[in-house]
Parts: sequence; structure tokens; C-alpha cells
Amino acid sequence: MKRFFRNYSVFLWRCARIAFVGDWRYYAWMGLLTVICLFGLNAYCKQLVQGLIVTGMSDEVSWGVYIANFTFLVGVAAAAVMMVIPVYIYGNEELHDLVIFGELLAVAAIFMCLAFVTVDLGRPDRFWHLIPGLGQLNFPASMLSWDVIVLNGYLLLNVYICGYLLFCRYEKKKPSKWFYVPFVFIAIVWAISIHTVTAFLYVGLGGRPFWNSAIVGPRFLASAFTAGPALIILALQVVRRVTATAPTPGSARVRPRTLGAGLAAPHSATLEDLEVLAHHLPELATVSLEDRKQSLHGATVLDVAAGDVLLRQGATDDGAFFVLSGRVVVTREEGGRSRITRSAGPGEQFGEVSALTATPRVATATAEEHSIILRLPAASLRKLMQSPKMNDLIHSRMSERLMISDRGLLMLRSIVQVSMLINVFLLVNEVFKEFYSGNLHVASAKYLFVGLHGHHALVPWIWTAIAMNLVAMTLLVLPLSRSLKWLNLACVLCIVGIWIEKGMGLVIPGFIPTPLGAIVEYTPSLNETLVCLGIWAFGLLLYTIFLRMSVPILQGRMSKDNEDQPDITGDETVASVAAAD
Amino acid sequence: MPLPDTTTDKTSDAAMSRRSFLRGTAAFGGLTALAASLSPLFELKDFTSAEQFMQKYYKEMTPADMAKVIKRIEGDVERQYGLRPHVRDYKPMDGVEFVYCLNLTRCIGCRKCVHACVNENNQSRNPEIQYIRVLKLPHGSLDVEKADQNYAPESVPEPGFFYMPVQCQQCRNPPCVKVCPVHATWQETDGITVIDYDWCIGCRYCEAACPYFARRFNFAKPEIPKERLNPNMSYLGNRPRKQGVMEKCHFCIQRTRAGRYPACLEVCPVGARKFGNILDPESEVSYILREKRVFIQLKEEMGTSPRFYYYFDK
Amino acid sequence: MQSRPPPSSRRSGARTNAWLGGLTVVFLALGAFFLANGGGRITPRPNIPLVDAKFLETTPWRRTYADMVKDKEDLSDYDCYACHEKNKPPPIRYDADQKIIIPKEHKDIVMGHGSHDRNNLCYNCHNEQNLATLQVRDGREVKFDNIPALCGSCHGPNLRDWEAGAHGRTSGYWNRSLGAMDRLSCANCHNPHSPRIPTREPAPAPHPLRAVAAAEPETLH
Repeated sequence: MKRFFRNYSVFLWRCARIAFVGDWRYYAWMGLLTVICLFGLNAYCKQLVQGLIVTGMSDEVSWGVYIANFTFLVGVAAAAVMMVIPVYIYGNEELHDLVIFGELLAVAAIFMCLAFVTVDLGRPDRFWHLIPGLGQLNFPASMLSWDVIVLNGYLLLNVYICGYLLFCRYEKKKPSKWFYVPFVFIAIVWAISIHTVTAFLYVGLGGRPFWNSAIVGPRFLASAFTAGPALIILALQVVRRVTATAPTPGSARVRPRTLGAGLAAPHSATLEDLEVLAHHLPELATVSLEDRKQSLHGATVLDVAAGDVLLRQGATDDGAFFVLSGRVVVTREEGGRSRITRSAGPGEQFGEVSALTATPRVATATAEEHSIILRLPAASLRKLMQSPKMNDLIHSRMSERLMISDRGLLMLRSIVQVSMLINVFLLVNEVFKEFYSGNLHVASAKYLFVGLHGHHALVPWIWTAIAMNLVAMTLLVLPLSRSLKWLNLACVLCIVGIWIEKGMGLVIPGFIPTPLGAIVEYTPSLNETLVCLGIWAFGLLLYTIFLRMSVPILQGRMSKDNEDQPDITGDETVASVAAAD
Repeated sequence: MPLPDTTTDKTSDAAMSRRSFLRGTAAFGGLTALAASLSPLFELKDFTSAEQFMQKYYKEMTPADMAKVIKRIEGDVERQYGLRPHVRDYKPMDGVEFVYCLNLTRCIGCRKCVHACVNENNQSRNPEIQYIRVLKLPHGSLDVEKADQNYAPESVPEPGFFYMPVQCQQCRNPPCVKVCPVHATWQETDGITVIDYDWCIGCRYCEAACPYFARRFNFAKPEIPKERLNPNMSYLGNRPRKQGVMEKCHFCIQRTRAGRYPACLEVCPVGARKFGNILDPESEVSYILREKRVFIQLKEEMGTSPRFYYYFDK
Repeated sequence: MQSRPPPSSRRSGARTNAWLGGLTVVFLALGAFFLANGGGRITPRPNIPLVDAKFLETTPWRRTYADMVKDKEDLSDYDCYACHEKNKPPPIRYDADQKIIIPKEHKDIVMGHGSHDRNNLCYNCHNEQNLATLQVRDGREVKFDNIPALCGSCHGPNLRDWEAGAHGRTSGYWNRSLGAMDRLSCANCHNPHSPRIPTREPAPAPHPLRAVAAAEPETLH
């Protein structure tokens, strides 16, 4: 138990430290976000002192951009976890690592939601009145009380799942299914509930005919599943980019060379070599002596220098490799840039996927330093895997790679595509219902779409949003958007269009006209805008920190094994050094 | 491959420590900026005290708790306005259910009720809070979208229009009570929906839920002119509120629970307002609901079942 | 084992250091800016004048004879026989259009009680035999301090409403066991000669926090 606490503390400490370490691009980005956050914090302090009069809200329009952003971000948080469904229910391995990025986005989004709600409160010092037991939480009558419970529960759920999976990766231990799969399924259901509860906040108000409609809940979900995965598509490409090596291999400190030039010739492997391997790979000891002897058929030991390429992506040779000493970095070319998927130290394998599945190489392996490598033909590897422990080990390690493939992105694209189609369909439903029958409760819809009594501040916004959504929908339906350039454009249009439609296009018109027929328009004030920007910057800051912590863990470059070198984040090695130019 | 040597180790060590130093300065700069960004909080006066922060929910207070709270409120008001008020916690009377009737034939739209209410209930003058909103409607329609709240003719009433003052309807099925996340607003046995100003968190969900635009929020510290402060106060009624909490018409609790008429009724020059106990068959409101044939509840289809009845003589 | 960083990464190391140094300066400058800015400008609010105290008055706008008696005021104005002769009812004159001619001694009276000049005769209400009293249609005398009995003799529904407290303004206590409910007399609000409530200046319109749109002219359909 003590060991667990010690290991966990070291893990947390290293995660915290790594958040402050990076190259100049990292510092520039984090510096910018911090400056924006501080402006937001300063603006909020002014709001605390002077009251909500510093915003653009009034008794007539009593919720504004704070709640608009909150509504949008609850959708993002819900959708981020919905990506989990293909992986866990349909077993789509392509998206496996993307799940963690999705859940981390959900965590960052929930923090932003909680921040937006807190800055909207007139008396945030009385937050404890919301705590069941201590305060007087009006559950189950008030939908806001439901929101408090489900949002905080969702946060805890996702923090737990991500934390558990990352810690297991860090410890190079296989995560136990019982500790996370049930929670993942709970999180899937919970994701739908957080957004439905938020929708019900609006739907339940009979006095606001614009909101009091059954279609609001489904519209929320459809728009969330459009904007959320779209954000993730963009975020993943950013991750791919910042963990990429430079496109021209020539500038790397270590120049890849073809194997064999200038060093000792490969020699046949012996039992002593296997002993060396067993020193780093205890599971090897469970293989019988007979099997070990048989596995030596065709096995060779290679002595390689830094930069030697051991296997290339796309090639069709079929050996599996084990590192006896030194370090090998495995890179994969994705989207025109090559990126590190992991680094293999003594005792670790690479190339086993092609060996076992007889498929072309999915990555390139390059020695990072002088290394001694054991090469086994596929048959030898299978022999070793006759031991159940070895079998488990090899299989679990096979899934430990950081892949952000285009196929994964295209899978996300299809989620966005279908959701946007549904979103537009529901919008058509809404517009028909409001305008065809000509009954009296359409004032808010009129204000939004065509203006009311000479007031039309929101009309250009909603039509811009609709245009963006329609263009995005068209792009997504066309095969054109299979190319990343067009897909990215479609994603940006989705996100902005839905932000406007859900935020300004839902919250504000509900208040105009007032229940007594008056029209008071709403414009966010400068202070209010600064607070919003500050919270968005805070969310991005959080997400960047999460990525900064999780990517090295997922790549295997920050783990229990290199605990003794706390400052090695991988930055000082091949990849980012080269990339920094 | 270059062999490791001590000189390059020293250089890289120096590089590392230079980097660490700079990280440290940047972090220090960040912390300084953070502290400076919080500087407006120095001007935060009167926001809350430890005692107020921990104050119990109204329904959980013992009479001793309430006495302490009242003493605190009286002290605060005296400090701020130079006048020691008399604050009481009026409890509802048994066998009483308040109902308000408003005669739309009589109302002339003079808005005296609005200002009598403001005066009686210590509402903020700037930003302006008024519980009562008078709507000017054209003859023949109750559609509030045709209403004008900003009429300012030389004299009222104007021909072709009638006037409808709207305030909290003290609904029997109040949406505001349902949605409040912390039970800061609830309905008492005599029908008045009240707010515990020290419990409200200012989320304004009740304001969104109300179909009658009856609830008001304190967007800033309320300004009450000292010379017009009403010192006869109640805990749930007209004691001065703070920034960031909700308020609304409470049928002048400090008057009605002492048996008197509300301020809006007493100032109305044409006697359009009628108030009383519906459970008493002798009251004027029982008489009206018995004798007058036409009366409406605003937005009846909302299912709120207001205790406010508008009626016509002719 | 760490090797000497190559020139390219030395440059990048220098660049990172430069950015860190720059960030330090930016943060310190930001801190100074926040301190200088202080709490920021208090959002200026338009001046809203205090409402005129006349709109808070609960005093009825007319005083009746009964009020004056209660307050022991000078009642000489009601001494009709100071000018008129006893047992000699003053004649009422009409003009060419059959409208009452108000004598110049009573020029403050404007006749407008009922449409179509319904009450074209002073003695519908005033008692010609005893000018100090009033009379109902069947000749019964009504004293000046008992106005509702006179008005109610024609305006029955209003009288019934008034007795129940439903017509005209009440004040005092709705809970009779704690105090009295005060009713006003008809003449406290209605001028007996032109009873229609006159129009009056309304109190100012509300000053909402953000501009309220003026309503467009209503169209009835």
C-alpha cells in the first residue's frame, strides 16, 4: 500500500513538473493563455465588487453569454465521451488512444462549465447552499439541482477513468478491466444524461414558449455530437503536429542509416542472449528451456549504432525485435509527418505486429543510441508465446502505442456527418412548427429569425449560423471532406455555427420578448467578454496540460522505468530537438 | 559518435540551470500577475461576514437564531442609513389565504401603486427596481405583446386603452419555487411566496421561470435614499437587500401579516385594488369573487393558478 | 548519458530561454497594469430622479363636509342662508339650449352629472325647502355628512359594492379583529356636480437597466 502511495505521488509529481517543461512554442502558447486567463480573472474580480451590472444582462434578459457558453460546453463534454462507444462497444482499435483524448477534453470542458456557472452566480460565496446535506439542494424538483449532481459526478467519473488508465500505462501494467470498463459504460449513459438534464433546464419552463418544446432536448444532443467530435478532430491533429518530428529527416541529430554499415556483423543468437533478455523481461523465464532452444532457430543479434534503421514503415519483412540494451524509437508517418508512437527500452519489443499478423510494417524503428537488438523470426516469437505469461505480455504491449491515424479521424468524421444531418433536420422541424400555424407564441422565434417590432440584433447571427451549418453539412456529405483540408474547414464551420445557434440562438431569444411583451435586447459587455475569454483560455490551458502529461505516458517515454531521470521528458532527445528548428 | 566529456557536461548543466532559472522567473512573474489581477477585491466592502456566510436556512433557524440575525440586520441598517429600524419575523396567520383582486374598469394607469410599493418596501432607486409593472393595453385584447410599459402621456387614462398593473401573482402552483436549486424561495401557508435573501445564490433561474416578469435581481448594490427608508421591516419582506440576490412583491408582509392593507392598495386613488382573506366569506375579496361575473387570471393556461384576479365592473 | 547538444538545439535552447525571459517581462508588466487599473471604473449609471412625493400621497383628493366637521374647520361656506332667504327656494335658470345657467356666485360649479344633461335640476339632489340638507328622489332628507345615502339612492350597485368594501378605496385593516377598515365617502373621490374622475398626470415610466424598446403603434385585428 505504501508503495502504491509512493508510486502514485511520484507519478503526480512528474505529471505536475512536466506541465512546466517544453519548447519555445509551448511556452509561447501557455504564456498567451495565461495572460488571457489573468485578464478574465481581473474582470471577474471587478464583477464581484460591482455586481452583475458590469455585464450586459438585465431583469429582462437575465441570462447571457455565460450561460450560453455553459450550454455549448456541456454538449462538448457529453460528446467527447460518446466517442468511447465505437471503441468499447464495437471494439474499434483505431480509436483506442483517441478515447483518452476525448475524455480529457470532457474533463476540461466540465471545468469550463463549472466556471461559467460560478461566474454567473450573484452570490458565489453561497455555493455551499447547493451541497446536499450541508445546504438545501432542491432535488428532485429543480433541474438545476440535477445539473449540479450530474456535472460533478461526470467530472469525477472521467477524472477517475483517465487517471486510472494513464497511471497503468505509466506503471507499464495492464489495466484491469474491472477497474475501468464498468465505469466507461456508466460514463456513456451519464454523458447523455448531462446534456439532457441541461436541455430540461430550458424545456421545463412553461412561461418561456420558445424553450418549452419537446424538440429542445434532441436538438441539444444532435448539435453536441456535431460540435464535440469536430473539436476533437481538430485537437487530435494539433496533437499529431506538436508531437511530430521534422518532415525532413536530414536535419535530425541522428541521421537514419541503413543497417549494417560500419558495425559488427549480426551473429546468431545464443541462450546467453536470451538470458540477457530475461534479465529485462522476467516473463521469459516462464518459457521452457526446450522452447527457448527452438526459438533460437533463425534468431540473430544485431549491434546497431544511433540512427540505424531496423525496419521501415510499409516494408514486408516479418521479424520481431527485442531490445537487449540501448533504446529504439518507433515512428510512424501520419498525415505527411512522422511522429513517435513510442520508444522501446531494454526488454521491450517492436515489429511484433507484422510478425504475428503478416501485414506490412506499420512504423519505422530507428535506434536512438548504440543498441544491441535480438531479432526473432515470426515462428520463434510464436514459440516463445506458447507460455501464457509471454502471450499476455506481448499482446498487451501490442496495444500500447500512440496512433492517431487518418482512419480514426475519418471515423470521427462520420459521427459529425450524421449528427449534423440530424441537427439540420431538427432545425427545419423547429422552423416549420413556429411559423406555419401562425399562433401567438412565436414572438421569440420571430425575433430570432426575422426580427420583431423593428428589433433584429440576432437575425444576422442566426442566419450566419444556419449558413455555416448548411455548408458544413454539404461538405461532410461530399467525399471532398475525406481530405483533411476540407474536413478541417467543415469542422470549424460546425463548431462556430453550433456555438452561435446553441448559445446566442437559444438562450437569448427565450427572453425576448419578456413575459409581459417588452423587448429589451442584449449585448455582452467588455467585462463579460473578458471573463468568457478567460474561462476559454483556462479550459485550453487545462487541456494543454492534460495533453502534455498524457502524450509522453502514452508514447512510453515517461514511465516508471525512467523515474530516476525526472527531467527526461523526451524533449532533449531526437524528436522535439529536431522539431524545434 | 562523440564521447562524453566533462566540459560538455558542464555546459549542458549550465544550460539546464539557466533554463531552470528562467522558468523560475517566469513562474514568479506569473504569480505576481496573478496576485495583481486580484487587486480589485480590495474594494470589496460589506460583501459577507463569517457570521453571514454560515447563516442557517430560514426554516432551520430557532427563535434564538432569528433574534441574533435580526439584531445583526438592525445594526447593519443603522450603520448604513443612520436610522435604527424595527425588524420582525412575521409569521403567517392561521385560517388566512390572501387573494388580490384588481378592477380593470377603475385602474387609470397613474402608477402611484408602483411608487408606493417602492417606498414601502425599500427598493433600490438606482438601479431602479419596481415590483409592479403597469401595462397599457388597447381595448379588446389581453395579448401582452401589444402592451406598452413606457407610456408617458400628459394625463391618464387615455381613451381607447385600459391599464393592467402586474406584480407577483403568488401562484398556487409557482414555477419559481419549483426551479430554485436551494429552496431560497417557497410558499407559506397564507399563500405568499417568500424569498430568504440571505439564502439566495443569485442564479436567476426563478427569474427565467416566472411567466409574469415578477421577480427582480439586484445587479448592483441597492441605493435607497436615507430620507425615504421605511424602518418598519420584516425579515422575509422589506428589509434592505444585498447585491446579487432576488426580490419580488411579497404582499407587504410587514403590513398584511399585522392585519393591514398593502401599500399599493392604500395609495390607489380610484380604489381599483382589493385585498383580503379568501377564507373569510365577509371579506371584500370573497364578495368580489362571488358577485362579479367576469374575472381573469393572467396566463391561466400556464397552470400557475394565480391568487391575483383581474375583474371588470362593466 | 548526455551528449553535447548540436548547434541546432543550442539555438532552439536559446530561443526557448528568450521566450521565458520575455514571458517574465510580460507577466510583470501585466501585474503593473492590473494594479494601476485598480477596481476599474464603476459603471456610470444615468441619474434617476427621486419620484415626486405627491405620487406617494394617500390623502383623498377631495375633502367632504364630514371631514371638515371632524377636523372642526370653518364651515361658513356651507351656510347657505347667509345669502339665500329661508323659505324662498332660489330659482334655476336655463339658457336657450336648455342648459342650466350657473349663477356667478357659484361659478366654481361645473354641471356634468350624467350624460345627456340627465341631472339638469339642482333640486334632484339639493333640498329646496332646506338648503342645508340634501334630498333623495322620494323627498326624504339626507344630511350633508351622509353622502352615500344620497348617491346610493340612484347608484344602487355601487352602493352595495361600497358597503362591502369593493368600491372605492379602503384603508386600515383587512383583519377587522386587529383594527378598523376605513372607507371613504363618495365625495372624497367624486365631485358631486361632475362625478367623473378627472384625468391626472401619471407617475414617471420605469427606468430599466438597459434600454427598453418603445412599442410600435398597436393595431387591433
